[in-house]
Parts: sequence; structure tokens; C-alpha cells
Amino acid sequence: MLMEVKNQIKVMFLSLKYNIMRQMTNKVTFITNIVFMILNNASFIIQWIILFSLKNEIGGYTIKEVILLWGMAASVFGLSRILFNKAFELSELIINGKLDTFLVQPKNVFLSVISSETKISAIGDLIYGYICLLLYGITIKNVILFTFFTAIGAVILTSFVSIMGSLSFWIVKGDIIADSLSNIMINFATYPGNIFKGIVKILLYTIIPVGVSNYMTVDIILNFNLVNFFYIVIFAIVILLLAFYIFNRGLKRYSSSNLMNSRI
Amino acid sequence: MKKYLYIYKATLVENLNYITNILLGFINFFVMMFVFLNLWEYIYSDNTQVINGYTMQQMIWYVLITEVLWFGSRNKILTQEISQDIKTGNIAYNINKPYNYVLYIVSKHLGEITIKLIMFIMVGIIIGVSFVGPIQNFNIMNVPFILLTVIFGVIINSILRIAISIISFWIEDSTPFHWVYDKMILVIGTLFPIEMFPEFIRPIIKCTPIFVVTYGPAKLIIDFSMKSFMNIFIAQILYLVISISIVSILYNKGVKKLNVNGG
Repeated sequence: MLMEVKNQIKVMFLSLKYNIMRQMTNKVTFITNIVFMILNNASFIIQWIILFSLKNEIGGYTIKEVILLWGMAASVFGLSRILFNKAFELSELIINGKLDTFLVQPKNVFLSVISSETKISAIGDLIYGYICLLLYGITIKNVILFTFFTAIGAVILTSFVSIMGSLSFWIVKGDIIADSLSNIMINFATYPGNIFKGIVKILLYTIIPVGVSNYMTVDIILNFNLVNFFYIVIFAIVILLLAFYIFNRGLKRYSSSNLMNSRI
Repeated sequence: MKKYLYIYKATLVENLNYITNILLGFINFFVMMFVFLNLWEYIYSDNTQVINGYTMQQMIWYVLITEVLWFGSRNKILTQEISQDIKTGNIAYNINKPYNYVLYIVSKHLGEITIKLIMFIMVGIIIGVSFVGPIQNFNIMNVPFILLTVIFGVIINSILRIAISIISFWIEDSTPFHWVYDKMILVIGTLFPIEMFPEFIRPIIKCTPIFVVTYGPAKLIIDFSMKSFMNIFIAQILYLVISISIVSILYNKGVKKLNVNGG
């Protein structure tokens, strides 16, 4: 069992290596994608400078905490897209019957599918995350917690978008629904959780788990809390197992479109 | 001109079949609006507070209108299809047809967004009226002027996006440039009226596409005056002339640079 997991992780990183090498064949595009993504993310600083000129704090956060929140959102999204970009396009693969090439491989289908592509601009997101951490204040504790929660957040985000994508095994217009729900997670991630109230707040900590992957993780970096720490880890494990389970259940319903394609 | 009208009509009719897709696309719009509603409700301590000349009601209507224009006129044809055509060499099949490729793209784009934009406007009105009530002092007689600036804003936005996509003739992927344009419009143009920025930046923002694409039409809807209309409309005409010239120059230079391997 352990050897199998080790093998799978090795294949996953090999896949990542070749994905990046393939994209690096055009160096100008490769670099512009990364640099412009950093600039793209940085533009939101303007939004927050204006908002904080109108009110001293928003949802209990000052600009310093918002930068950390932004950093966490960017690095979680970045890592998820670097390692598992195809999780964000799972619906399209299912609807168009493009899973065939993965079914014949002697590895876990779910992991093979989601790790088969890397979004290069996401490297810019990940770098931007750490730039934000630098602006917030870098200490050994902050770096360790930030890195750990980036990984945990990426697991939660990937699992969530995979579950949404897997709905296409059952729902006809699953791709639009999956896209919308995945975007919800990303849109909420960059605003302080305390501006939302009532039922929405409950949803953000359960069904759309942005509260767990972003708000709670940032709160732990600000004020360490052991109970919340373990809650986040357990939540990540549960949602990851759920993603595997739902994908495998759905896979039994999958029907090929006899589409000829190959992985180069 | 007749052939472009035909392309517009054909795309429009084709899109009537995808109403469900447009409706499902509203989920994103609702979420964004919900986030902004919460944000502005938090910033405005009470309904009567006025920040930089805007009441909470006006502010929410402003964001709603700019987001409607943004979501309603978004289209992958402008951001992805042109780049893909250039990257894959598919453009070779389009430029030797008896139409101008750029005008073909504009007609197709307008055909695709007409239904979507109308639906977004209707939904925007429903959300606005139900959450913050109707716009104060709105006069129905101003609608033709407002409509004119909305249409011009949408066209200018389309042409600027085409100009960005044409960069693909020189560098393979123009997507990063679209991000920068997107963020400029989204962050500066849709979330805040120009009056929210420090005074020294305002004249600079007035020179950017934000003034003619989002701020102008939205400002006229929430606070119409003939003077503002004339300012915005003249700026739009200037922008239209400049952006068309840029696209023509870039396209003609790019096409000469095109080198497609047969296949």
C-alpha cells in the first residue's frame, strides 16, 4: 500500500516536471505568463487601498491582514493549479468522453487525470503568495504555517473542484455548474470572512469550504489555535477521501465517446 | 455592410438556443453582487451616510451597473478565439474569405452578447430594485442618451480587446495582456466611481478606457446631466477613432508577418 502511494506520488511529480518542461519550450510566453500573473494579482492592492481609505478596518482586518489573506488565497490557488490543473477541467473531460487515455494506465485514474496538466501562470500566483507573506512579515513560524496551510488549502480546493467536476457524471449541464461553484470558492477567498453573516457564513465553512481553506488558516497564522488546526487537517482528509469516492462512483457511469486522443 | 449584419443575425439566432447556459452563468454574477453588497453594507455605517458624493444606494447601483456591463459583454471570441486562430494558423482560412476578419469578429461578438447583455440588464434591475430600491431621480426620458453611451462603451471595449488579441501575431499568447486590461477595468472601473480615488489620480483615470467603458454609462444612469453626457459621448467618439486606428495598424502589420505552415 505504502509503496503504491510512493509510486503514485513519484509519477505525479514526473508528470509535473514534463508539463513544465513542455511549457518552457516557448520561453517568452512562459515568463510573461508568470510575471503578468504577479502584476495581475498585485492590482488588487489598489482596491484595498481605496477601501481602507474609506474605513479603518474591514471585517476586523487592517490592510496588513488583508495582504496575508490575499497571499493565502493566491498561493492555495497557485499550488492547486500547478499540481492539479485538470481538476478544474474535469467536467469537460467527462462530458466529452476524454477519460479513455487515463483508464488504460496502470495508475490511479483520478490522480492521473487531475495531475496531467500544469497551469504555468499559477507559478506566478504561488510566487505572489509568498511576496504577500514577505509584506505581512516573515518569521520562521509564519513561513512554516503559511507553507503548510498552502498545501492543505490546495488539497481542499482541489478536492472541492473535483467533486463539483465529478457531478458531470450525473448532471448534463455539469460543466457550467462546476465552473460557477468553483469560481464562488475563489471569489469569496479574497474578502474577510467577517463581512458575511448568517446562513452564508455557515455555507462558507461547510459546503463551500473557503472558510476552512482560507479564513481559518489565516486566523491561525494571526493567532495560533490548536483545535482549529486539527479541524482544518481533518476537514482536508475528509474532503479528499470524498473526492476520490465520488469520482470513482461516477466513473462507473462513464461512457467513452470513442474520441481518439493521446498524451504527448 | 449587409454581410456583417447577416453574420450578426445568424449568431444572434444561434445563441437563442443557449439561453439555459446564459441563465446558469448568472450564478457567478449573483455571487459577485452578493459579495459587493456585503462589502458596501459593511463600509457604509448607515443608509444616510454619503461617501465622496455617493449614498449607499447610489454606490450599490453603480457597482451593479458596471458589473452588468462587465459580465454581459464578456466573450471568449475576443479573448481566446482570435489568439487561437493566430496561434493555430486557422486565421489563414479566414483572411482569404470575402470579408474583413476584424469586422467578422466584431459582428459575431455582438451577435453573441446581445441576448446575454439584455438578460443581464433585466436581472440587474431586479436585483437593484429588490435590494436597495429604485434609483433616485431617474428619468425615463434620459434612456436614449444612456443607451447610446452603453452601446458605444460595449463597442469600444470590444475593439480594445481585439487590439490586445492581435498582439498574438508577435508573441504567441496574448492572454497575460488581457489579464492586465481585465484587472484595470474590474478593479478601478467597476468597484469604485472615479470620485472615490484621490484627486490627483482622477484626471489620469479619465484618460483611460474606464471612463468610456464603465464609469461613463454607469454615472449617467445614477446621476444624469446633459453636460456629463456630452463629456462622455465626445470622449467615446475620440476613443472609438483611436482604437479603430490602432486595430487597423496592428492587424495590417500582423497579417504581413503571418507565416503559416501548410497542413
